[in-house]
Amino acid sequence: MNKRIGEKLFYTVILGVLFIVTLTMLIPILNILALSLSDPSRINEVKGMTIIPKGFSLINYRVLMSNPQVMRSIFNSIFITITATTINILLTSISAYVLTRKGLIGRKFLISMLIVIMVFEPGLVPEYLNIKRLGLIDSYFSVILYKAVNVYYLIILMRFFEEVPESLIEAAKIDGASHATILFKIMLPLAKPAIATVGLFYTVFHWNEYFRASIYLNSTSKWPLQVMLRQFVVLDDTSSMLGAEKLLSFSDAAQLNYNALQAGTIIIAMIPVLLLYPLILKYFTKGTFDGGVKY
Amino acid sequence: MQNLLSPKKRNPKRIINKLKEDWILYLLIAPCILYFILFHYFPLIGMKLAFEDYRIIGDNVFVGFKHFNTLFKSPAFFKVLKNTVIISTMKILICFPIPIVLSLLINEIRSSKYRKYVQSVVYLPHFLSWVVIAGIWISLLSTSTGAVNQIIEAFNGTPVDYMTSKKHIRWVLVFSEMWRSAGWDSIIYLAAITKISYSLYEAAMVEGANRWQQTIHITLPELRATIVTVFILNLGFFMNAGFDQVYNMMNDSVISVVDILDTYVYRVGLANGQYAYATAASLFKGVIGIILISSTHMISKKLTGKGIW
Repeated sequence: MNKRIGEKLFYTVILGVLFIVTLTMLIPILNILALSLSDPSRINEVKGMTIIPKGFSLINYRVLMSNPQVMRSIFNSIFITITATTINILLTSISAYVLTRKGLIGRKFLISMLIVIMVFEPGLVPEYLNIKRLGLIDSYFSVILYKAVNVYYLIILMRFFEEVPESLIEAAKIDGASHATILFKIMLPLAKPAIATVGLFYTVFHWNEYFRASIYLNSTSKWPLQVMLRQFVVLDDTSSMLGAEKLLSFSDAAQLNYNALQAGTIIIAMIPVLLLYPLILKYFTKGTFDGGVKY
Repeated sequence: MQNLLSPKKRNPKRIINKLKEDWILYLLIAPCILYFILFHYFPLIGMKLAFEDYRIIGDNVFVGFKHFNTLFKSPAFFKVLKNTVIISTMKILICFPIPIVLSLLINEIRSSKYRKYVQSVVYLPHFLSWVVIAGIWISLLSTSTGAVNQIIEAFNGTPVDYMTSKKHIRWVLVFSEMWRSAGWDSIIYLAAITKISYSLYEAAMVEGANRWQQTIHITLPELRATIVTVFILNLGFFMNAGFDQVYNMMNDSVISVVDILDTYVYRVGLANGQYAYATAASLFKGVIGIILISSTHMISKKLTGKGIW
């Protein structure tokens, strides 16, 4: 009897500890959200643990949305993410298909090419000078193409394609199917969860990318949102945030609180990730990445 | 068919036929190979800059180990090397065990709804960019409105400006790293736990072992191979210490204690334009990295039969 009570207590403690762990992750995020949505006149009431907005106002988002530089950066981010992810998925799945064709002459050589890339990192300066030599500085293609294929994701897809039964492919070949047909009609549908996961990871990667963009793209008009966010929040550059102030009425502008504006920018930068997150969980939990490579 | 493909039976004519048959495959992989050459192999060749003086006009001049000599005589370089080692060591020692504990705790949850809730929340920070996380943490640690200092004040302590305190900033790096990746890193252990045979637990229950004893005597020993592999893999990336994190969390007050190799290379290389010198520092880091990765790969293969590739 005593033992049962002990185990129950033990169980409750575990649930409690885990609940606190989740709070340490949720509270800081919800606090930022509350700060960005609070009524400017009550902003002083928002404390560190506040997770419900004090009053309600969209003024911070209105200011951000009326700042042409911010809007521009959001469109840049969307453009770069969509273009780059499309290229990623096409190149990665096609390459994974080719590299898993048994008996392909030169296959081993190509795979060792991949391993070299995984092991040797060229370092920042040679990469930068290379982008310069290719004439891609200040071109969207620098950030779109520099990670056109992620070797880790390529290897994950290869593992999936290897598991497709050879007999299925042979049967299709006998029916006269071309490689393109086999890839798009057999392999891709079968590996859908893996491709979806890899695609989502690529999307998050491009959306979150800020560093290459900040060194490869000189014109601020080409900056993605994350670079803008870094300017606002990490470097505390309030002058660019003020860009839209003239567009506001005087009473509105007087109420502006930089912390709240920064919070709004952080939230906007998180939204796509939060929207995709349920999908990530869905495909991921299908056991796609069981004990495999992380990243 | 099998004979045709086996290397021993190949003759030139068959090879040509095979190449002809597969031409479309080579065409399909060509863009990918082109990408690897243009964006990976070109910069790798570009690393020879470490042995040259950079010229804006004309060819670079070969200077041998000049930059390495400067590097190894530079106190700044040793300072960043020391910071890299300290920060990496702190992260491995403190952050490494947490995902294991977390996976054991999550594994105890019997309600599938609660389990889903916990997992969904703890994986989330992994998908946020370091810029976003830095923003969240700067706000979290703020002296006036941050939650951490408000808790400290509630217990009558004095608020600390953690982001600008040399004494605390490395701990900020450790804890924000933990905040971001503890949940995500627990996945690999959770996956390993689900593979443990249930009969082991049944046998233990027959002998009257409680959950705690089952965890200590069955789950943990069964996880040993995974733990060793992950630990070794982490060691392989020891020299990285987290560029994006440090880059977004550092400021002038704390730069002397958080400046790591990668941020140093960025600053002297791209911000100050000392291209060749910075490349030498990158190459040094790369060589150490390769030694670490290949030796950990071999150790991992020996201990667990599983390597990095």
